[in-house]
Amino acid sequence: MSQADPSGLGRARAVGFVLPGLVLIGVFLVFPALWTIYLGLTDYRLTGLAAADPQVVGVDNYTTALGDERFRNSLWLTLQYVLGSAVIGQAVLGFAIAWVLRNRPGPVKRITEGLVLLAWILPSSVVAFLWIALLDRDDGTLNTLLHTPGFAWLLDYPMLSIIVFNVWRGTAFSMMLYGAALENVPPSHLETARLAGASTLQQLRDVVFPRIKGHVLTNLLLISLWTFNDFTSFQLTAGGPEGRSEILPVYIYNVALSGGQLGFGAAISFLVLLINLVFAFVYLRLLRDRRKVVVP
Amino acid sequence: MISLSGLTKEFPGGVRAVDSLDLEIGDGEFFALLGPSGCGKTTLLRSIAGLETPTSGKIRISGNDVTALPPGRRNVAMVFQDYALFPHMDVTSNIAYPLRIKKVSRSRREARAAETASRLSLSELLARRPGQLSGGQQQRVALARAIASHPQVFLFDEPLSNLDARLRLEARTFLKRLQRELAVTTVFVTHDQGEALALADRIAVMNAGRIMQVGTPSEVFHRPIGTFVAGFIGSTPMNLLPASAEGGRLHVAGAVLPLPGDIADGPLVYGLRPEYADLSQSAPTGRRDVFSGKVAVVENLGAAHLVTLDSGDLLIQVVVPEGDEPAVGAPAWAVPRTGRALLYRDDRLLTVA
Ligand SMILES: Nc1ncnc2c1ncn2[C@@H]1O[C@H](COP(=O)(O)OP(=O)(O)OP(=O)(O)O)[C@@H](O)[C@H]1O
Ligand SMILES: [Mg+2]
Repeated sequence: MSQADPSGLGRARAVGFVLPGLVLIGVFLVFPALWTIYLGLTDYRLTGLAAADPQVVGVDNYTTALGDERFRNSLWLTLQYVLGSAVIGQAVLGFAIAWVLRNRPGPVKRITEGLVLLAWILPSSVVAFLWIALLDRDDGTLNTLLHTPGFAWLLDYPMLSIIVFNVWRGTAFSMMLYGAALENVPPSHLETARLAGASTLQQLRDVVFPRIKGHVLTNLLLISLWTFNDFTSFQLTAGGPEGRSEILPVYIYNVALSGGQLGFGAAISFLVLLINLVFAFVYLRLLRDRRKVVVP
Repeated sequence: MISLSGLTKEFPGGVRAVDSLDLEIGDGEFFALLGPSGCGKTTLLRSIAGLETPTSGKIRISGNDVTALPPGRRNVAMVFQDYALFPHMDVTSNIAYPLRIKKVSRSRREARAAETASRLSLSELLARRPGQLSGGQQQRVALARAIASHPQVFLFDEPLSNLDARLRLEARTFLKRLQRELAVTTVFVTHDQGEALALADRIAVMNAGRIMQVGTPSEVFHRPIGTFVAGFIGSTPMNLLPASAEGGRLHVAGAVLPLPGDIADGPLVYGLRPEYADLSQSAPTGRRDVFSGKVAVVENLGAAHLVTLDSGDLLIQVVVPEGDEPAVGAPAWAVPRTGRALLYRDDRLLTVA
């Protein structure tokens, strides 16, 4: 038996085992991705002449997109959405909850964690419906609570509404991740800092963050990607009013499926993919630098 | 000076780890808290540090009531059993950390770290990280960090327990000399009574959240106040035998001994350290003040042997010098030295016999 073949299957049978998986990946991942790239170079439409006979238009779609006010606005909104709801909202709030609950006795911790988790595991359509009921102009719970009848939250503050919504919905993940990370911080290290007179912020800076840096990076990468590609807000505002909450996934949907411009939508999807790759690349670089520092 | 009055710490669930405890520790004293596992030593130390909030009672340091002060304002430094060095900081930054929090300027705190490090022979290691140090070096860095901030009180929680036996002896000598030079009040937790006897000016022996006895090593060793302390202190456990006083004589395990002074008739406990009896392998003629038995176990202690005699339903242990050890199963006699045995009644020391 050669060393290159530790399982002793032989080349033919090994390929036989791997093939079904490769075929599935090919059919459902690689092909659609390549197809999207191709579509992005055409003027393919959902209906009409260009649907029957799409023409290759080169990088026209990309130049149009980059010059398009609506696209640039959408990109800007997405940035706000990611920064506001993921990086600031979910990560900071999730960490804060995990930190406060870190050595709370049983029931307080379990109940809080349970409530936060509930927001995470409910199906998005159910959650969206609940939030519409909460924010509704006429009979909304929030208006009743605040005594502001007739206030249209989703119309007057669409971005704020979906950011708060996404924070509420996604904080559980960060909370659990940081909760687990904080278990790795030895109590004696925190206590040494406390004995030296360190404030809470100094304890976080000197003891906690150096320990959980890797967790923070992983967390930020995952939630930024998820939020960047999140479509749930469509069920609250559908991107409106007048595109004021039209983040990229919603924009693509509106352009490609509602507007029927499949080719243009595909080009934007490809841009989104590139942005995601940049996120992942930056993260991997940071993580590698960190390894270098820890093991000199 | 540290003074504790009525200090009690009850954990949720009803464990009284420290139970209405009173204690005074003098300025510059090297004070050991000694006791079996789970008796509340760490909890007591952490209460002095401010890391545990006492359920009731008062803690005073140099006359100031610090019971309600946070740890950072008590001017104490603690060395933890795991040393708690920050892995991402080099040795200099670790030692200088408390000074950095106190906003001492960088140049001054680095000078202070270097000075402290040289005193603990760490000068070569200043640029290393804790992960690149041996256990003994880490322990000294942790000490240096405690020393560099010039606290009023040092608190050590089993600082030597992670070192191997050889290094522990070295570190012990070193620690004692260092404490003498610095003359800072030091409270130090251990469950190794050898360590406590060797290091401390005074020892508090604890059991189940209470202090059983406070005294110098010699007091605690020679005149343990109750049978718990008697059994706990000593490298080989003391023989504690049921005895009774009858008509001016002491009856213990088949032997009849003279009874000192004015002890009323009744049951007693007779305590004799294995070091304070001699073993005879031939029957001492005409004497009733010896314990007879059969050799059950012989344990090698290096320069001596610990012989366990089976005397009826009691076991009596005797330390015999090298070369004199009997064969297992042979008959033997243990002769107590006079003035070395301790008599207890109702768990209180009555007298020395
Ligand atoms: N956080 C806690 N919650 C509940 N009980 C505790 C807690 N910490 C300690 N205890 C209990 O308090 C008692 C004393 O504990 P402590 O750690 O002070 O013992 P110790 O004398 O230091 O023991 P060791 O020599 O094993 O370190 C033990 O019964 C322990 O189980
Ligand atoms: Mg302990």
